[in-house]
This record gives sequence, C-alpha cells and structure tokens, in this order.
Amino acid sequence: MLVMITHAKIETLIREKLPDAVVQTQDRTGTLDHYNVSVVSREFAGMSLLDRNRLIYAALGEALKDGSLHAVEIKTGTPA
Amino acid sequence: MTPEVKQAIDNDIKTHKILVYGKGTKSMPRCGFTLETIEFFNQFGYPFEVVDALADPAKREGLAEMTDWPTLPKVFIDGKFYGDTDILGPMHESGELKTVLESAFAEAKT
Repeated sequence: MLVMITHAKIETLIREKLPDAVVQTQDRTGTLDHYNVSVVSREFAGMSLLDRNRLIYAALGEALKDGSLHAVEIKTGTPA
Repeated sequence: MTPEVKQAIDNDIKTHKILVYGKGTKSMPRCGFTLETIEFFNQFGYPFEVVDALADPAKREGLAEMTDWPTLPKVFIDGKFYGDTDILGPMHESGELKTVLESAFAEAKT
C-alpha cells in the first residue's frame, strides 16, 4: 500500500493545535513521507525549542503513528 | 517503563557524555537523520556514542515516554535530553552548544 501525506494535510493537522500557524513544507525525498516543515506562530513566543517541536510532533502524531509521515525536520519561529 | 529499562537508560546516559539513540549504529546507520546526527557530532571532535534503539524495542518505548519525544534520533548530552538536530543545529549557530559541550567535557576531567 502506498502511504503518503500531502502539504494540505500537514497544514490542517498543525493548524488544529496552532490556528494562527503559517506552515511551509518541502518534500525531501519526492515520496511524500519525508518533509521539512517550517511553522511560524505567535504561540511559540517564550517556548523552548524542545517544547515547540513537541507541540508539532503532537499535532502530527496521527500521521507519524500510521506511517504516512515517516520523518520530519522541523523549524519553528515567531512572526516578525 | 520497567525499572530494568530505566536502569539501562540511566546507565547509558551516565556512561557517555554525548549519547545518540538512533536507528542503526555509527558504522551502519539505518536512517538519514541518524547519519546526519553522526555527521553533526563528527565536526566537534568530542567522543560520542550511538546506540541502536531499533535493537531494543522496550528501551525505545521507555525513551519516548521519558522524553515525551516520539522520534529517533534522540540526543543526550551530559545526561540531559536535547532532542535532535532540529534543536542542536540552532544551538550550534547561536554558540550555546559550544558552551554545553565544553562544560560537559570539563567536568569529565575533574
């Protein structure tokens, strides 16, 4: 079975936790299961990098668990 | 997590100043991110150990629970959890990582 995840799905999952998030994704491997994900949200202000990434992993938990998302490199920021 | 698993993890992170729980080993990494992490630490010249978490599912599960971090690799420096290169990369750029490593290895000599 071919399992993969789209940019739109990743964005939807992240926005469920962070409604203001600006989400950019880049498919690393052309197989739609290894992504670079960049997330900008006001919610990150005052959070450690560890906790920011924990929040993104929690948002993407379902996709990581079912294997549609194999690996993700996360960058986070707050709006300028 | 069983006390045995906890003991084994505590022992790992006490024994190695820089410890990477990854997929595969230093000589045979089985995941691009584990390889990237090995290359990342190669640049500093400090000794580091890579433990294959795939070889021990109970430990892998225990680590996820203990760190609240679902993915591999997982990096510990001086017994403290630092996530992966998504965290360590920015810490390296800001100079913070250098301080962490220097203090970790300064203690080792005393």
